[in-house]
Formats: sequence, C-alpha cells, structure tokens
Amino acid sequence: MAQTWDAIIIGGGHNGLVTAAYLARAGKRVLVLERRYRVGGAAVSEEIYPGFKFSVFSYVVSLLRPEIIRDLDLPRHGLEILPLESTITPMDNGDYLSSWGDPDKTRREIYRHSPRDAEAMVEFGRLMHYMAQAVKPILGMIPPDPTSLSPRDLLGLLRLGRHFRSLGPQKLHALYKLMTMSSADYLDEWYETDVLKATKSASGIIGTFLGPRSPGTAYVLLHHYMGEIDGSFRAWGFAKGGTGAISEAIAGAARRFGAEIRTDAPVTRVLLKRGRALGVVLENGDELRARTVVSSLDPRRTFLEFVGEAALPDDFLADIHRYKFRGSSGKVNLALDELPNFTCLPGVGPHLRGAISISPSIDYLERAYDDAKYGEFSRRPYMDVIIPSMIDPHMAPPGKHVMSIFVQYAPYNVTGGWTDERREAFGDAVVDTLSHYAPNLKRAILHRQVITPADIERLTGLSEGNIFQGELALHQLFFLRPAPHWAKYRTPIRRLYQCGACTHPGGGIMGASGRLAALQILRDVGGTGG
Amino acid sequence: MTREVVVIGGGVNGLVAAAYLAKAGVPVLVLEARDTPGGLVASEEMAGCDPGWLLPDIAKHLGLGAAGLELVVPEASVFSLLEDGGSLTLWTDPARTAQEIARFSHEDARRWPSFADSLARFAGVLEAVYAVTPPRIPNTRTRDLTTLLGLARRLRRLGKRDMIEFLRVAPMSVAEWLDDWFADDALKGALGAGGITRILQGPRSAGTAFVLLHHHVGRPAGAVRAAHLVKGGPGALARALVQVAQGFGAEIRTSAPVREIVVRDGRAIGVALETGEHVAARRVVSSADPRRTLCGLVPPACLDPEFVRAVHNVRFRGAVAVVRLILGELPRFTARADDGALRGAITIAPSLDYLERAYDDAKYGGVSRHPFLEARIPTLLDPGLAPPGRHLMTVQVQYAPYHLRNGAWDAAARERLADTVVAALAQHAPNLRTAVLERHVVAPPDLEERFSLTEGHPYHGEMTLDQIFFMRPVAGYARYRTPIKGLFLCGAGAHPGGGLPGASGRNAAREMLLKESRR
Repeated sequence: MAQTWDAIIIGGGHNGLVTAAYLARAGKRVLVLERRYRVGGAAVSEEIYPGFKFSVFSYVVSLLRPEIIRDLDLPRHGLEILPLESTITPMDNGDYLSSWGDPDKTRREIYRHSPRDAEAMVEFGRLMHYMAQAVKPILGMIPPDPTSLSPRDLLGLLRLGRHFRSLGPQKLHALYKLMTMSSADYLDEWYETDVLKATKSASGIIGTFLGPRSPGTAYVLLHHYMGEIDGSFRAWGFAKGGTGAISEAIAGAARRFGAEIRTDAPVTRVLLKRGRALGVVLENGDELRARTVVSSLDPRRTFLEFVGEAALPDDFLADIHRYKFRGSSGKVNLALDELPNFTCLPGVGPHLRGAISISPSIDYLERAYDDAKYGEFSRRPYMDVIIPSMIDPHMAPPGKHVMSIFVQYAPYNVTGGWTDERREAFGDAVVDTLSHYAPNLKRAILHRQVITPADIERLTGLSEGNIFQGELALHQLFFLRPAPHWAKYRTPIRRLYQCGACTHPGGGIMGASGRLAALQILRDVGGTGG
Repeated sequence: MTREVVVIGGGVNGLVAAAYLAKAGVPVLVLEARDTPGGLVASEEMAGCDPGWLLPDIAKHLGLGAAGLELVVPEASVFSLLEDGGSLTLWTDPARTAQEIARFSHEDARRWPSFADSLARFAGVLEAVYAVTPPRIPNTRTRDLTTLLGLARRLRRLGKRDMIEFLRVAPMSVAEWLDDWFADDALKGALGAGGITRILQGPRSAGTAFVLLHHHVGRPAGAVRAAHLVKGGPGALARALVQVAQGFGAEIRTSAPVREIVVRDGRAIGVALETGEHVAARRVVSSADPRRTLCGLVPPACLDPEFVRAVHNVRFRGAVAVVRLILGELPRFTARADDGALRGAITIAPSLDYLERAYDDAKYGGVSRHPFLEARIPTLLDPGLAPPGRHLMTVQVQYAPYHLRNGAWDAAARERLADTVVAALAQHAPNLRTAVLERHVVAPPDLEERFSLTEGHPYHGEMTLDQIFFMRPVAGYARYRTPIKGLFLCGAGAHPGGGLPGASGRNAAREMLLKESRR
C-alpha cells in the first residue's frame, strides 16, 4: 500500500485516540495502529468472566478535559459519565468516615468525628477549589523551555509568571506548599482526624512510589477539587459501560472526523531516514509511510524499542534511561454473587454506589509503603474499591455484581519477581484485608482477576506497569516531562512526536496530553487546532 | 537611655548580626540569657557537633582570624563503618577518595569526579541564593526583580544541561539521585547520610537531594561531605566573635534573659528582662527561633491570628540527640584506618536501606533501634579538651525524635539511647565498651530547655523545600522583618537557615542597615 498518511499514531489508548481525533478534525488523514484486538489501552472494558464486564485497569474518570468532551462531541458517541459521589472509609474501631456529593451532609458527618475539622473543611475546600482553578490553565499549556531564549518560550515563561502573580500571595504560597510538602504534613495544618487525613492523602500516593509522609505527595490533593463539586473528597465519575466506553466514544469521534483505526496491528519500529521519521514497520513486515509519526507509548518503549539508541543523542538517551517508572499499583477485579456487607455500615445503601477507601490511618498507609520499599507487596494494602454494577447494572447479570479494587503498593520489582504464586498471594492479601471489613466477601466471590504491575506491563505495554507512563513526581512534571528540552511533544527525531501520559500534564484519563500534542503538531505542520 | 538596636540572644547568628551592625557604626546591645555568649557553640557538651563552625566568608569579612579564630579542615571527611567490618573513607582530596571508592566499584570511582563537580556547581548556585534577601513573591518590586534576574543569570551560568539538572535534582529523593550515579551501597549510604541531616525524613523521601546540596554550601571547596572545625574547641569561636563585636563597639550582656518584647502601637520599643528591667530600643532583632520570638516573647494580642497560625505550622521536629563519651583510650577500629580517618566524621550509615529503616522507627514515633551515627573525637584536634590520656567522643544520633509516641525522654530512655550508641560503635571498635568512663546524653528536650531551641532543633526549623527561601520562616515574612515594626529576625529560622552558621545574622544585619529599615 503506497499511500502516505498525514499522521500515523502508534497506540490506540485514550491519548492516542484524542490526538487522532484532533488531527482528523483539522482535516489530516490519520491512521491509528493498536496492538491489541480493541482500542483503549489501559482504558478498556472487557468481559473476562461470562456475563461480567470489568474496567480491567483504569476504573474511574476524574479529569477528562471538558474542552475535549465539547470539541469531540463525546456524548453523541455514547459517553455518559455517572456521578461517583460518596466515599466511605471503614475504621478499625467499627466506625466509619463518609463523604457525600452534598457538602452539608459531609460537613455533618465530619462534625461527628471532629467539630474543629468540620469547620476547617469549609475553608480548606474553598482554598483548594481556588487553587485547582489556578492550576487548570497550566494543565492546558504547552510547557515552555526555561533554558531556551526563543521568543515563544520567553513569552510562555512571562505568561506563566504573570499567571502566578495574578494568584496573589495567599494562593501562590499555598500552591508552593502543595508542590513541596507531604500530604500528611499539609493536612496536619488543617485537620486533626487521622482517618480523614489518611483518606484525603491516599489520593496523593496513587501511581507514585512514595508514602503519604514523603514530600511531593500533597500536590495531587488538588486533583480532587478540579471538578466543580466543592467540598467533597472527589469530583469523580464512572463511565456507563466502564472506562472502555470512553475510549470507544473518542474512537467514534475520531472515525467520524475521518481517522482510520486498525486493531491487531502491532508496530515493531519507526522508519527513520537521516534523523527523520518516515513511517512505521508492522510486525507482519508491512511498511506504512506518514509525514508525521506520533507515539502514544511511554518513552522507554518509543525510543529504546521503536527508534533505537543509535539514532538518538547521548544526553537525551541518558534522560530516557533515568526516567522513573517504578510501577507501584495493582488491580483486583471480582465477580460477586452478592454485595459485600460492611460491618461498619451493614446492608445495602447509597454508600455502595460510591468508593470504599481502605485507608484507616496515615500509619496504615505508611506501613503499606514500608513493605514496598523493601521489595514486598503490602500485606495490608491501601485499596480504592468501587462496585460498578451498583452504578451501571449492565456491568453484571441481574442480582450479581462486579467489584473493582485498586491496590497499592505492589512494587514492579518485587523480590523474586512476580511469579504466579506471588500473584495469588497478593490477591489473597487483598481479599483477606477487605474481608476484615466485609466478612461475607470471600464466599461471595465467583471469579477473581489479579493484576500485578508485571501484568499491566505485559497486557498494556506500560513500562514497569506504571499507570501514568512514568511517576508523577515533581522532578518529572511540566518542562521535565518526559525529558528536559523535549517536553513539547516533539522528539530529537524530526516528525516524530509523543502524545501519551508521559508528556505534560500526564496521568489519569484526562486526554490533555493527547490534545496538546495534536495542537503542537498542527502548529508545526500547519493546519488549525480549533 | 534608648538603644539603637538590641539583639536578643548571643549565639553565633546574634553575635554576627551585632558585629556587622556595630561595624557599620550602629550602637548595639546583645542580651544573652546564659552566663557565656556563643549559644550552642560555647557549650562543652556540644564540642565537635554541628553547628560548631562559621562560614569562612563571614570569618574573613569580620576579621576573626586576627581575633584568633582558626578554621581547620580535617583531611578525612567521612569515615564510614560498614556492616562487614570494613570501612569507606571520603577524603577531602578527590583523587584519594576515588582510589578508595575503587576498592568497591571501579565504575563508581570513574564517575566520582564528575559527581563531586556537579555537587560543587549546584552548591555554588545555592550559595548565590543564600547571599540575598529573599524577594517578595509574587508581589515583586523593582529590587526583587533585580534579585531574581541576578539569580536567574547565576543559574544560567551552569549551562543549559546543568541548569535543568539543578531544577530536576533539588526536589528528588537523595536515594533516587544517587541511584542515577552510583551502584555501591556503602558509597550511597555515606553520601545519602548528608541528605537527611537533621530532618525527620528518610533518604527515599522527596526533597532530600536538596538537603545534600544545602550542606555543601560554604563547605571546603571541591570536597564532598567535608566540614570546617574550629581550632581550640568550643568557645574559641564564641570568644573570637565576642572580641570582634566588642572591637566594633557592640556591648554584650550575659545572664540577661529576655522575658518579653515590649510592643506599643504595633511597634517594638524595647525588651523587658526576667529581672523586670526594661531596656528601651529603637529596633529589636531576635536570634531566637521564630516560634519562641513571635509566639513566646511577643505579647499574643499584638499579632494577627492567621500569622500566628503560620508560625505554629513551622515544622521543627528535632530529630537528633547527642551522646557524649569520655574515653580512657582511643577506640581501635577493626576496619583498617590510619589516624587521619579518625579525624573525619566517624559514621554509621552503611547503606541507604539502613538509613531508611532508621527513619521507619522515627516515623512511628520511636527512637531508631539502629540509628544513623556521626561521631567526632575533638580531642584529636584539641587534646586540651580532656585530661591527659583521656579522649572526648561526641556522637550525633539520628533519629531521636523530640516527640516520642510511647513514653517520654526520661532517664531510662536516655540510658537506652547511650546503650544503643555504645553497642553500635563497639561492633566496630570492641575496646570502646571498656574505654567509656562517662556517658552524657543530650536529647532534643534538653536542647530545648538549655538553649531555648523549640523542639530541640538547632536549625530553628527543618530545612525542607517548603521552609526555605521566600517561605522561611513563614511566607510573606522572609525578609527578616515581622508584622511588628522595628522587630527583626536574625536567627537560623530566617533565610538561609540552619547549617550555615552566621549567614542569617549577616543577611539580617545587611537588611537592617538599609534606609527603608530605619523607619
């Protein structure tokens, strides 16, 4: 097939699809190549047990950019986000902490634990909300290179400076503290209730290899206030049909704009000629030509596998080699015969429509982290549990249920490696710990799928199973993501771009990386981003 | 009579501030609570401990050499004792260190020079940052923009790659950064120890790479983890500072503890002593830590609650105790060591994991069962510090948290700590057990009580990324001024902070000498 595409996108994950959709929307002839039999990457829904549908990996949608939903008209392609409003945290003393979509209800609940914290919550929520607003523009910005003296970069830096200045001292200083403090210390400045601090700080450790007492974990607290539901722990939602439905919707939009999407089309390398990308080579030997090649994979795979070290400058290679993945989370998916019955809140109630957070105390999280530090999975892990079938009945047969358990810590480099025995031992630790709070769980299990970081790597191609294509740590953000001087979606290979979560802003089902990459490409090759 | 400036506290920073002010012709009175000036450095039990030195630039600028101050740099920086009974010595001479490292890993030895070089270059950038008064961020005025531009230019001088590298490294964990460079555990342990100095974090906590850089500012050039020691032992530095300050015309009163800073109409007009005596002054500058100064000495009603809350949120968390041993003979280490090595910091930090596990205990409110130790034998430098034939060994023990979750710092806890320390060292020097004639434990609460250090932290607050530069001691008040007119801060609680003796005092004095500060 001799035709030359305007752009070939390697990988049909949600970011790859977003890039494809935006490029196609701008009139480019776009081809997406997905290795697996279906698009979605880590955002897929699969029926891994007859009649039970699972969001196999990524399971909630938090920050999918509104402009993307608008630009790509995703609802029209079947996207429906159902609210996931409550969080309950079972406590070891038999009590629980809950938060709800309704701030007043949450305030009353927190008052039960501490009147002082109930009061602090109002001010805290307001400040975090303001700061989330302050950060949003940065998430939607192509990072300027602070070492460059080009007008565009200097302008970008100036704009950044103006933006920070416009925040005023109070917000800027609070933001600086959030960037540099540990979530435990930051929350200590506001709250006294341990379980409250633990549940809030849990969000700060997701996808990192840090404990809640380590600096650099406070920043993620903001993400929970990016949504408009002020005062609640999380403004998160669940996609009808599972997270796969999000990918399908974006794919649908891309197709409508004229993009072609091929599944079962694994790429083996990028075609190069004198430092310029000409296209890709498929596993079956086919050579496909394109004016622009875009990789939605992480940098280790893109550059060390598909491009090859020989074609890359030493400094850049060094940066890619030391880019940190350190996958630290796993997933357990359960098919259930009956709903779990939590001792702290017996019976079926609205709490089962939200998240159940196993984070009884800061120390609990730290001890879970300690195990991982020394090469073991957490014996008593942090878990974020949801029951999708309670929100979307179509996920399981009538009367039955599916349970999604996000688990941390499960280090990629576990001592002795991830054998089948160790995987099952990990699954047991998860089920045992959860059964401690919901005793009927064990007998309710019809089927159990345990996913370790090694499995995530094998199934999705994410290096070391890091769900964010590289740790979201301060030293790997903004103009440092994924490598200094190459944070603008461009690469040392001309006409080769990156659009995955390994680029700014990265992380979560956001699509922001994919969109910004598309805008950068259109800026470079001509065409309108819209 | 009304004094021009009263300095609260005659520690190093207080005396340095007084000296600089007096040198500029400002009449200064220093009020020291204890019977000898010098604070920590003047005290017997802290002999050979950090902070026990002074930034060489300041010593030079104030002419302390002429007053008999002699800063010496031992040829050995760190003598690190390893679990297998061996040792690793970091010498001030890079070539010699590289040779030593080669015994463990040739690849690491090959990388050593360029690592030492980056460390020095990055510390150089921090040094420039530490020399300035923190700019008002974000409400910058012309003077602040000039400062920022100056620092930006200094950063650019590193060149593109290192400039980014500096920004990348500072927020990292020291463990990750060292993993980027080296393979050998012993080496990474000896270096990583510098990343946790006096903070309640482990080497795998983010921001500890900055701490390692921080502690290379003002230290012997080109060397890694090297230290300046004061010849003549504790008191020599204090005596020299006193002599110089007085030479410039400063007046110093000891045994004069301040009870309160007298404030009228939002302005400091002097201090009241414990004796009830009132000392009027146009301006008051406190070298006490920010919490003691603003939440202790200033009458509560004088400050806005929001500001007071910010001061209460400053993290102190003293984490280091000192165990002082009087020895009948020098310890004989099983590890091959020429005497030179013993003049360095005798360290137990055999690996990053060892340090991390020591932190794990403290994380849950306990004392490390296997702590990170840094011992010095000051009598090797100044035999006069002990009777003939006797030796003095001061051991800094981390982690020994101020806040113990179970129990308190009672006699038993102190004894346990001393036992832990002696046992740990005796593993490497069996003769130590019998050599110990006396043991004295200085726990964080003792530091608080004897030296008025909140939570026993000599740095007046942890040196972490959220508590430095324009955030130190609290956001919006990093320019040595306080919400109270005429009240200034010159202690380690102010920029650039602990581990740089004299720097805060110098910067504060410079700021007070500006016209705008006279009002």
